[in-house]
Amino acid sequence: MRGATWCLVLAVAVAAACRRPEPGDPLRGLSGAERARFDSGRVVFDSTFTPEIGLGPLFNADGCGECHEDPVSGGTGDEVERHAAVFHPGGPGRACDELAAQGGPVFQDSVTPALRAALGIDNEAVPPEVTAIAARTIPDVFGFGLLEAVPDSAILAYADPADRNGDGISGRPNRFFDGRLGRFGRKALVPALREFNDGAFQIEQGITNPSVPDEGTVTGRPLPAGTDPAADPELSARGLELTDAFVRLLAPPAPQRQSREAKQGRDVFTRVGCTGCHVPALRTGDSPIRALRQKEVAAYTDLLLHDMGPELADICFGLATPSEFRTEPLMGVRLMTRFLHDGRASTLPQAIELHAGEGARARDLFRALPPAEQAALVAFLKTL
Amino acid sequence: VRPLALLICCVAAPLFSAAAQQAPPHDSIRGAVRVVNVKARTLEVTAGVGMALRVFRLQVPAGVPVATRGGGATLTLRDLRPGDVVRVSYGARPGGYVAYTIERVGRMDAGLGSTP
Repeated sequence: MRGATWCLVLAVAVAAACRRPEPGDPLRGLSGAERARFDSGRVVFDSTFTPEIGLGPLFNADGCGECHEDPVSGGTGDEVERHAAVFHPGGPGRACDELAAQGGPVFQDSVTPALRAALGIDNEAVPPEVTAIAARTIPDVFGFGLLEAVPDSAILAYADPADRNGDGISGRPNRFFDGRLGRFGRKALVPALREFNDGAFQIEQGITNPSVPDEGTVTGRPLPAGTDPAADPELSARGLELTDAFVRLLAPPAPQRQSREAKQGRDVFTRVGCTGCHVPALRTGDSPIRALRQKEVAAYTDLLLHDMGPELADICFGLATPSEFRTEPLMGVRLMTRFLHDGRASTLPQAIELHAGEGARARDLFRALPPAEQAALVAFLKTL
Repeated sequence: VRPLALLICCVAAPLFSAAAQQAPPHDSIRGAVRVVNVKARTLEVTAGVGMALRVFRLQVPAGVPVATRGGGATLTLRDLRPGDVVRVSYGARPGGYVAYTIERVGRMDAGLGSTP
């Protein structure tokens, strides 16, 4: 009897170990302390803020989980944000003005009752001098800790800004204002996940914190007195640290089992040149977290900027021109219902059709495929 | 549901009520030169945390050292260009921020070269 019990326990343990990670699961191989931080971070991530504990006065959401919710915390959402910038190529200064004097390119869609009463506004106005307003959908953040653990050198190895190999694909790094290589965000401006998360508390929720200790402005104007009742910082360093742990330690969605059609589609994906930008796998470098160290991540991105043509162009950001976008990671693309940076495509074939610029060659080869091979490629993407 | 709500309250409440914890004052920034006004001796530097961006407007009194990385070469305010990456030590005064030292460490558009 005892032997049978042990067999059952062993079978359950093996089954658990073999189970593919589901969206929202932590990375495998976390220590007990890391797992505890992940779980506590999820609580902060899922918290709902009110003005009394720091929400606003300007905000897009009352919690991280309000947007990153589908199918679980850390996933996508149906919200669409407004980002804006001024682009003046050939001028005396930098070509891109990211509106840093107004707090940056993100313009919040909501205000607290106190700010509405004081200014009579329902959202933050975009200043008239902007040259473009961009729509931005909500990406999932699964596997982002692995993306951060990829060494700069691995990303820069894919860059070919002058297209010396003549394949029509260049790939350019973006850099933050302090010169560090960027990798997060649709324009790859932000170098570090922790900074992305810390900044998002203030930008998206109006939650000040030790990294961003001030509320910023309302389109460049100071907040009216009495509209921000919570004392700063509104979230502690511990809160930031735990949220970062949750996001950093989220596992990427495991690719699904591939049918024969999907396996054929994987070959087609390579043959038409998608892998020129959507690099199938990146390898992480050293990390104090064992689960992030020396791992292969099937990210399907090179984390570089590529010119996608004038039809998709919107705002500049850092070194990114309006038509340059970071190669969108395709890990977890099966969970998306809208595609491209602004969600204009509702199907994967539509998204492929909208590729231009450096993606034009692959798009044209896709167009020329027999319908069965097109379907196979899409079937492959739906396994990621 | 009740134990879950209790857990959320226990974990989250101390985090939100830590408002008394004050951030240390900023005394050094590293960012990209946005505007240089040699006549008014002012410098604007773009910096930020993630997507939360800020512009630091600094007075640069005459005599403030401006140099290349590690003090390799002496520069003047006139030598700084938009897009230069600078490290500025500064202090807050009633009239605004005042630069103490300025070090030009590279360019934002460093390309494939080493990070400035």
